Amino acid sequence: MKITIGHLYPDLLNLYGDRGNIQCLMKRCQWRGIEAETICYEINDEIDFSKLDIILLGGGSDREQMLVCDKLKNIKKSFQTYVEDNGVVIAICGGFQLLGNYYATAEGNIEGLGIIDLDTDRGTDYRLIDNIVLESDLVSMPVVGFENHGGRTNIKNNKPFGKVIYGSGNDGKSGYEGVVYKNVIGTYLHGPLLPKNPEVADYLIQKALERKYGEPVVLKTLDDTEEKEANAYIYNRFKGKVSKPQNQEQLV
Amino acid sequence: MKLRRMTAVFASKFVAKICRMLGKQGVTWAGKIALMIDPAILSELAGDVREKIFVVCGTNGKTTTNNLLCSTLEAQNKKVVCNHTGSNMLNGCVAAFVLAAGWNGKLDADYACIEVDEASALRIFPHFKPDYCVLTNLFRDQLDRYGEIDITMNLVKEAMKMAPDMKVIVNADDALSTYVTMESGNAYATYGIGEKVFEESINEIKEGRFCKKCGAKMNYHFYHFSQLGDYYCSNCDFKRPEIKYNASHIETGKHLAFDVEGRHIEANYRGFYNIYNILAVYAAAREAGLEIPNFVEVLKKYNPENGRNEHFSIDGTEIILNLAKNPAGFNQNISAVMEDTSEKDLIILINDNDQDGTDISWLWDVDFDRFQADNINSIIVSGIRCQDMRLRLKYVDISSSLEPDVEKAIRDRIEHGCKNLYVLVNYTGLYSTHNILKKIEAEYSGKQG
Repeated sequence: MKITIGHLYPDLLNLYGDRGNIQCLMKRCQWRGIEAETICYEINDEIDFSKLDIILLGGGSDREQMLVCDKLKNIKKSFQTYVEDNGVVIAICGGFQLLGNYYATAEGNIEGLGIIDLDTDRGTDYRLIDNIVLESDLVSMPVVGFENHGGRTNIKNNKPFGKVIYGSGNDGKSGYEGVVYKNVIGTYLHGPLLPKNPEVADYLIQKALERKYGEPVVLKTLDDTEEKEANAYIYNRFKGKVSKPQNQEQLV
Repeated sequence: MKLRRMTAVFASKFVAKICRMLGKQGVTWAGKIALMIDPAILSELAGDVREKIFVVCGTNGKTTTNNLLCSTLEAQNKKVVCNHTGSNMLNGCVAAFVLAAGWNGKLDADYACIEVDEASALRIFPHFKPDYCVLTNLFRDQLDRYGEIDITMNLVKEAMKMAPDMKVIVNADDALSTYVTMESGNAYATYGIGEKVFEESINEIKEGRFCKKCGAKMNYHFYHFSQLGDYYCSNCDFKRPEIKYNASHIETGKHLAFDVEGRHIEANYRGFYNIYNILAVYAAAREAGLEIPNFVEVLKKYNPENGRNEHFSIDGTEIILNLAKNPAGFNQNISAVMEDTSEKDLIILINDNDQDGTDISWLWDVDFDRFQADNINSIIVSGIRCQDMRLRLKYVDISSSLEPDVEKAIRDRIEHGCKNLYVLVNYTGLYSTHNILKKIEAEYSGKQG
């Protein structure tokens, strides 16, 4: 078996250890004897979606997201086809925002891919910055990570990725974080997301293999002692506490 | 308002003394109290400086550059105010001036060398306008606190605009620092390493892959490390400017050497990045009109005692303590460690306190795979986020052992290690680890005596 991961625009969208998500997917395949390959697409490269089993769309600064958004118009259609055909996507932070209709910034609206019906407006007061803990239907362990976003995302009638146990989530109010649509996960969690949440990584790998080979797949169990301990540390430290994101000015 | 000033100086010195007795640094508190009693104290004391005020700003190398600049000026028989400990926000800056003032509330100083946090410059410059600003580099650092690097760049630019007569001494090899400086409209002088030093660059995460001026792809004739190198935009006229203080004939390894302005400079430090620190000091002093004929002597005598490449020798174990707090800095640290080809033990301590940055995802932007070498005898991970560090290493097939208490880890390696130990820590671990090493050093020398 083989999996091909497409890392979209790491030259622009590579904030917050996104590279770690790729490393995690690759290793967890290789440790099971599944061949894994990552293709990095820079901003001017042609993308052949039919070759890809998992797409990672990371986060960048507002300015960089603006540069990416121009290019996205060219791939909008093929990206949409890939998603509707149950293609696996993990979109983090800026990538999550770009899946939606628009992302409002101080300099104006950035048009998104419009693949999932969600909108991101600009937070007027402060960025939502803190560790974050979720409960998600997709996995049994808590999902832990770090969020840092100015945008407030409204996922409308879509299914969230998880319920917020600690932290702010999509808009700091709804109590939910991220979005799940078909085989797409969009989330604000970096940290990076996958190494400390191995079940989420395996969920993506499993979905990708099942889509590619057209049959149910059971992944070999790995020794996840280190992953579980790192996850449990964050969970135990923050469960039952209340996150108070501060105005950035006060922190400087 | 002289009485007010004296009261502020008195109270602040008192607080600093108490804190020291309690084994805390206390610099921040001392500054805070002085400013509360006399809000004008910083501008007044800065006004007492007879010659020039330097500030040192930038992501990495601030403390080393600033302290070395201070030593260089002192070696010209000048009296210098300096925030040696690296407390570089408003309160730390106030404390440097106040603690250097006499009980009469007067400051007797020829120069001031003040390291300034990139985001705090905007809060410090209203109190005084520096004559010179050294801008070392801009890397991704503490994204949770500063936000994206574009935000940091804007803060630095706005601060520069606040002091339009301040001359900027900028690292020309860094496109981000150079762009910010040019945009500010301030006068500037450049330093850098004009020639290619390394055959190929490692696969680091690089900032500024795209021109900050026009958004097109940035091309490089060569990289030194991270985004530092000889860059030119593929579209517009933005490129590395001409270098005024150009280091050539670079030698790295067990010591550092280079030529600048026809002079040969040597230092007994390791780490390529230290060439930039030394060069920045040289450029700053020269721009201020100083000849510094004894510069090499100064470098020879300079012995950092603040955890930046600090050396200890305990019971036959050679120990180097160094700060590694962001990907660019950590990658340079790894290079320095790997330049030592003998067998070694490593302790890596990662905390996530406010001053470290509570977001530690940057660990995944560091090229730890370079520790997959035979001469690494062992790695112990420590600090608040030791589990994250262990996990990071697992994904590059490196096993490590967990010991949250760094003192235990250090004692274990002194007793059972290979006698060559590197301790790499991020910010809030630095002072405490330094003190632990001092304590253990004293214990062992007591045993011998």
